[in-house]
Amino acid sequence: MDIFSNVALGFSVALTPTNLLFCFLGSLVGTLVGVLPGLGPVGAVAFLLSLTFKMAPATAVIMLAGIYYGAMYGGSTTSILVNIPGETASVVTCLDGYRMARQGRAGAALGIAAFGSFIAGTFGVVGLMFLAPMLGRAALRFGPAEYFALTLTGLTLVAYLTQGSMIKALIMAVLGLLAGSVGMDPISGEERFTYGSLTLRDGLGLVPVAMGLFGVAEVLENLAAIGPQSIYETSIKGLLPNKKDWQASGWPIARGSVIGFLLGILPGPGPVIASFVSYAMEKRLSRHPERFGTGTIEGVAGPEAANNSATAGSFIPLLSLGIPTSAIMALFMGALMIHGIQPGPLFINKYPELFWGFIASMYIGNAMLLILNLPLIGIWVRVLKTPYAILFPMILLFCLVGVYTLNSNATEIIIMLIFGIGGFLLRRLGFEGAPFILAMVLGPMMETSLRQSLLISRGSFAIFYTRPICATLLAVTAMFLLWPLIKRRKQAKISHEN
Amino acid sequence: MKRSQLSVSLVLAGLAAFLLIQSRHLSFGSMRVPQTGFFPTVLAILLLILAVALLAQGFVGAESSRGPDKILAEGWSRIGLTLAAMIAFALVLESLGFLLSTFFLMILLLRAIESQRWSKVVVVAVLTAIASYAIFGWILGIPLPGGVLGI
Repeated sequence: MDIFSNVALGFSVALTPTNLLFCFLGSLVGTLVGVLPGLGPVGAVAFLLSLTFKMAPATAVIMLAGIYYGAMYGGSTTSILVNIPGETASVVTCLDGYRMARQGRAGAALGIAAFGSFIAGTFGVVGLMFLAPMLGRAALRFGPAEYFALTLTGLTLVAYLTQGSMIKALIMAVLGLLAGSVGMDPISGEERFTYGSLTLRDGLGLVPVAMGLFGVAEVLENLAAIGPQSIYETSIKGLLPNKKDWQASGWPIARGSVIGFLLGILPGPGPVIASFVSYAMEKRLSRHPERFGTGTIEGVAGPEAANNSATAGSFIPLLSLGIPTSAIMALFMGALMIHGIQPGPLFINKYPELFWGFIASMYIGNAMLLILNLPLIGIWVRVLKTPYAILFPMILLFCLVGVYTLNSNATEIIIMLIFGIGGFLLRRLGFEGAPFILAMVLGPMMETSLRQSLLISRGSFAIFYTRPICATLLAVTAMFLLWPLIKRRKQAKISHEN
Repeated sequence: MKRSQLSVSLVLAGLAAFLLIQSRHLSFGSMRVPQTGFFPTVLAILLLILAVALLAQGFVGAESSRGPDKILAEGWSRIGLTLAAMIAFALVLESLGFLLSTFFLMILLLRAIESQRWSKVVVVAVLTAIASYAIFGWILGIPLPGGVLGI
């Protein structure tokens, strides 16, 4: 396998001035949304999606990926300095990172977070480079039944992993599938649920829905409860971790890289889970578990590494199977499909310059982020001081303009606002947006593969349990669906005996 | 059981019933040749089952999660004002034009959280309108509605 020529091809794509510029812009914007609490990477990718339509596909993907891993870097800054996670994957970083900052070691915490992220991010990219083509080749043998099973397993796992009630997550998934079926039937072209609206004929737009659910809803939630802003005042000295810090963080970073990468491949909010698992693991392995939570550097290094390698891992199912496993991957899929590119087993062979260019840009982007995050930390601290009263109108304006400019259609603004209000209210009732958006994107694929399977089997469901890969996937799905019930029965039994 | 969970379950069940009726207008096909109405019908039935499950869960009281913090009247008024400003923006954007709509949107939003000095609000609103016009209209070359100003 001439992996070197592929990597060389990738760098030749990623190093063109345009792509380099957009890689930089993506990392910069990503760091910015990561630093700013109140706008997550999903919202940011959603609102920049509209700008990518006019770009070359490689440039679009490179920029969006930059936003994603940039946000992972930036999120740690806010966690460490003000104890507010910039995004959910940095929640654990608050535990020890903020303590370190209080002890005057903010510099070391920020430094190890950035270096850990860089090492793990690079590791994740290497893993992606080797694993995605392999999985893609295996997936060539998949038929519609396997694809149906894969989409079902993906959705179920996401529902299982979503915090809170699983029934609620499943309801959101079904609603998302229904939303995905608005518009033209993917097979026959017949119209569904359009009620004469021209805008709805092409289906509900991914961008207005995602921006509503993740941008507008998030802003509304912040508006509901605004407390006094804590502002970081003291200066930061000594960004480079010392030798002792490195000795303490070496293994946590290594373990976090591997664990994060593996968890990233699985469906669900990979980076978030990876950071929690890494923290728990470091605490268990540590000779001084009592130090965790009081400002120990291992508690920052491990999770920060894990969330970055998970970012790279989460691209694997999308690029090799064509199955997005999280809300943000769903948006990536949308970005590719707008350019007429179908991610899946054929993707890497069909668009080598796109795949390898994307991989190469992630190496470059990770290096850029190290530069952005360490010397420029002063700028990010200043950004953090922007009062929310000024910030939120700008975020909303970007959402409004971003959605409008998609098709110069004001109806899409209304769709975004409806999903914004709906998303806000549903979130307060314990319904999360991630299963919805994922289901909406997977919907057409799920429907097509289900109907094709039944056509092939002449209406017999045996096609789903006689094919080994498909049967295994469905068995896994059933297990995850039933597990909460079994667990509850066990708990009830225990509490009964007590 | 919590009243909110009861009403959510009922709304969802109602939605499922509505979708089930609506899907009947679409051709269902058969198991051998499933057509346009097939998938939505299956989904509507699933939604109905899940809504009933949610309702049942509410009665059993298995849901132990704590509700979110209550939103104060002040919070609701901020949300209401913000939403109203955005809906108005969507409605007037094409007739009033991008620059003016953005200017008024920013005036309303900038005062949504706390009343700031008018001079500051106006300056920020004007700058934001011009800057966003420059970014989207000129640099990115996206056609923006000119409206009454005609630019």
